[in-house]
Amino acid sequence: MSKTGLKGKIYDIQGFSVHDGPGVRTTVYLKGCPLRCPWCHSPESQSFHSQMSYASTRCTGVETCGECMKVCPAGALEQGAEESAAGGLIHKVRWHSESCAQCFACTQQCFAEALSVCGKDYTVEEVMQILRKDYDFLRSSGGGVTVSGGEALSQEEFTVELLRTVKADGIHTALDTTGFAPWKAVEHALPCTDLFLYDLKHMDSAEHERVTGVPNEQILENARRIAANGGKLQVRIPVIPGFNDSIENLNATASFCAELGEAVTVVQLLPFHHMGASKYERIQRPDPMPADVLPPDDGQMQKYLELMFDHGLQAMIH
Amino acid sequence: MVEWREITPRVAKMRERYRNTVPHLCTARFRLITDFYMNNMELTGILKRAKNLRNLFENMPVLINEDELIVGEQGSSYRASALYPETNFAWLVDELENGDPGARESDPYIVSEEDKAYILSKKEFWLHNNMSAMFDAYIPRGYRKMAGNGVLMYVLNQNANTPVGHFCTNYDKACTKGFGAVKREAEEKMAELENSGIMGQDNERYNFYRAVSIVTGGIIVWSKRYGKECRRLAELEANPERRTELLDMAERLEWIMENPCRSFHDALQCLYLYHLAMCLDGQQHGISFGRVDQYLGKYYDADLKAGRITPEKAQELMDLFYLKVAEPNKMIRYDPATIANPGYTSGFMMTMGGVDKEGNDATNPVTYMMLQCAGRLLLHTPPQSLRIHKNTPADLWELAIETTKRAGGVPTFESDDVIIPALMKRGLPLESARNYCLIGCVEPTGCGDEWAQPGGTGCESYINLVGCILQAINNGTNPMPGKDGKVREHTGLQTGYLYEMTSMEQVVDAVKQQIEHFARWHVGCQTIWESIARYQMPLPMVSCMYDGCMESGKDVMWGGAKYNATGNSAIGLGNVADSLNVIDYMCFRKKLCTTRELYDAVMANWEGYEELHQIVVNEVPHFGNGDEEADKYVQFVAETYADVINSATGPRGRWSAGMYPVTMNTIMGRTTWATPDGRKAGTPLSDGISPVQGMDKNGPIACLNSVLNFDQTKFGNGTLLNMKFHPTALSGEEGTAKLKAVMQTYFDRGGMEMQLNIVDSKTLRAAQERPEDYKDLVVRVAGFSAYFVEVFKDCQEDLIRRTEMGM
Repeated sequence: MSKTGLKGKIYDIQGFSVHDGPGVRTTVYLKGCPLRCPWCHSPESQSFHSQMSYASTRCTGVETCGECMKVCPAGALEQGAEESAAGGLIHKVRWHSESCAQCFACTQQCFAEALSVCGKDYTVEEVMQILRKDYDFLRSSGGGVTVSGGEALSQEEFTVELLRTVKADGIHTALDTTGFAPWKAVEHALPCTDLFLYDLKHMDSAEHERVTGVPNEQILENARRIAANGGKLQVRIPVIPGFNDSIENLNATASFCAELGEAVTVVQLLPFHHMGASKYERIQRPDPMPADVLPPDDGQMQKYLELMFDHGLQAMIH
Repeated sequence: MVEWREITPRVAKMRERYRNTVPHLCTARFRLITDFYMNNMELTGILKRAKNLRNLFENMPVLINEDELIVGEQGSSYRASALYPETNFAWLVDELENGDPGARESDPYIVSEEDKAYILSKKEFWLHNNMSAMFDAYIPRGYRKMAGNGVLMYVLNQNANTPVGHFCTNYDKACTKGFGAVKREAEEKMAELENSGIMGQDNERYNFYRAVSIVTGGIIVWSKRYGKECRRLAELEANPERRTELLDMAERLEWIMENPCRSFHDALQCLYLYHLAMCLDGQQHGISFGRVDQYLGKYYDADLKAGRITPEKAQELMDLFYLKVAEPNKMIRYDPATIANPGYTSGFMMTMGGVDKEGNDATNPVTYMMLQCAGRLLLHTPPQSLRIHKNTPADLWELAIETTKRAGGVPTFESDDVIIPALMKRGLPLESARNYCLIGCVEPTGCGDEWAQPGGTGCESYINLVGCILQAINNGTNPMPGKDGKVREHTGLQTGYLYEMTSMEQVVDAVKQQIEHFARWHVGCQTIWESIARYQMPLPMVSCMYDGCMESGKDVMWGGAKYNATGNSAIGLGNVADSLNVIDYMCFRKKLCTTRELYDAVMANWEGYEELHQIVVNEVPHFGNGDEEADKYVQFVAETYADVINSATGPRGRWSAGMYPVTMNTIMGRTTWATPDGRKAGTPLSDGISPVQGMDKNGPIACLNSVLNFDQTKFGNGTLLNMKFHPTALSGEEGTAKLKAVMQTYFDRGGMEMQLNIVDSKTLRAAQERPEDYKDLVVRVAGFSAYFVEVFKDCQEDLIRRTEMGM
């Protein structure tokens, strides 16, 4: 395939991204992920296909619109119950994802942008046009571009081409990855990735597979090889109560990081939160994370941080 | 790492008093000026004003509050407001007869029954003898029907509600030279003229010097009266420490004003008293302090070297100075619908940092002290501006950003690299441009040498650009019905209706014509206003220190300052640009509707056009998102407006364009009909050069990229960009570094000014619900900051609506 025509499926490009690597960054989010982590706060990133998303709060009601229902070939849209809005009582549209044909005809009619397509194809050049506008700000802040997902390495060719182009412009590149990809893909990305934002979810492969759907051997092996080949890793540990927050597992994770040596720039502990709940609603998927799982409190997080320090690691709560 | 210095118990106690005092109205000034004006009918012009001020200096109550080390009061009780009936009066009669100043939604005042009766007893005299009434008599032919056109803001009876203000005299000269020297100089000039014979135009010069001699003598008397009061209190004082303080203050007050300042403490007292004297004379409207760190640095250095002061003591004095500066406020016409600067705001802007006249970094220890005041005392006023240039020290940047995280919007950040060339474009030489300060909100002006009148020449100077596009698509008529519900008279040019236009060029041309038409009217009115104000409100107290006036023998109001300009500010850039892009996108580029449909939808206030409204709001790209089509209209609107204003002249020379809103965007929004960008009638307009509230969906970088699409050096009168960030996006030292990088890049690429609110909307909502818990929450409103709980509801809502960046 010619590289100029190479397309990637992207669900968001976010400017002034301040949590995804050093400095001020622009982050490109690629769609599709082989993992199914129940705490995922971007469930719309998991499917490799474009998909419907419905934000009912934006619907202006069938009284003044209702255009979507007219074009739906599958009868997946109907008038919902009466509810009050700023302008009086209205009936919003109800979307039935189970009968939806994912043809997106309704999204063309929805001017309120309540019904929308999540996931759009971009060429590398189209993305670059957007990214280049931000370069001055990225440079001056010691920031750069982050390619994230989903799992960006699942779209290997596109991701590598994007990173390569950005790096050729003299801009710092980061790849936010689950690490679950063939070594060949990681190796491909290595020369054009200044920093890997690298998730370590659990050290026990069976437990990893039970919860995320994939084992961890490949992930750990890729991390070792990145380190051995001169790559830099910013390790991220999502702290999920009841899953990976045992002292035993955290110790094992810390030891693993310590073994990687100077390749690890910092270990970030990311406390679990429920912020993604509304995103599950939008794609009409039940939130797999039980509501009674509470974010770890500050005291616990501090304890885990100390544990990382005990292993001689640079670490922070993020 | 920023270290906040300790607040001394004295400062803490005085801050508490400041926050817990509801201002009284004091009629001392009102009573003195009433007697003076009624008994001196033969006096006119500058001599009348000079003798009136001297009478105030000799007879105003002198009040020294507990614990004060820096003194000065404009009334008989702490934080009291004086009254200025000679500028405007009708509103006061109306409020006292039909309302209750103590029951205002914001800015309440306690007025005694006795004072109320006295004020109303002088109604007949002052209703005619005030500048607003005089303006009304001079309104240009044909203007009366312009009232209510939705573009200009002249209103009968109110045209001098906020009269001549917005300037910065040469405070440095006042400190280093003293008023005694200027008095002698004026008297020498008079003697020279008397000896050579007063001929030709000498009359004006002679009268000016005479007025200067009177007011400089007056301010010396005033200061000595304070000194005498200190001695009286010292006699009564039981505490020996306080007695020593009072005697020290007495000695100081008897020395300064007449003589050059000898110490840091002298200079602070001199700055404050001179400032208050100008307030007492001419209503305290946006009178700005200029480069305070530059005046004070040399005194602090000398004191420190001589062992007369410690950094801790200097900080305490600075804190006390700030608490005094925060204190004055003025009771003015109150209407929640039209009050431009709620929250007891006076606009006593202070400027810090920047380069010196040679272009070197001018930062000194006082610069840091000033930020310490702002970040620790959390006062909503004085507003402060930090001048930024490529050699601004890193620790000053850091302290300033940490300050703005604590005290919403203090300081504002101003770019020397853009402002200096902008001032040179309007005629300032390099040295003077480098010495600029900020006035009122964000208006750059030569410090002590330029009479730039950024706020207008007799009343506030704003143009509603949104009104211009509405007239452009509605054949010169404001579509907003009058209070009587009737359709307005047409006041604009008859440029046709949108549904008659067949190309985008026609629309753009109509907008250009209307902007030019209304700008001409505005300039005309201001020119007439100025011809009245210069007789009614000459300002010898201000002029005596202003560079140029003593040399030319002319008052600032007569063009005596070394450099001159007149400023203006346009409101609603974002809405007009978005409206043009919507018309282009919907009717011409994509042909999604006809001009008739869009016109009808706007005129129906979008009611019954929900589908069209949603397309306009969601599908059409808006300014602030880095979209080239949308952004090109911003350039067109901004530069069309700037070019017409910058080419205008007034009685003292050039005009200068600006774009800052104060809160005019909400006020004008209330009386502005729906617009093609999807905005509904009565809702706020966009503020300053910021994108329309809620329409910048792609974050701060995209927003800045858009804003950088027009030449900001055309806006010598200042631009204002409000950025709101979520606190979590900028926490810690890392967050500070990111914010610095973003601002520095904005400035490097041609941005002039940026001000920040780092607060989440959740906090603001909570403050609305439980104001008692958020008494000290300071937020940036526009060119000024205010305690959030003290601004009126609509303004609070507008603050919440402005896009929250980051997260």
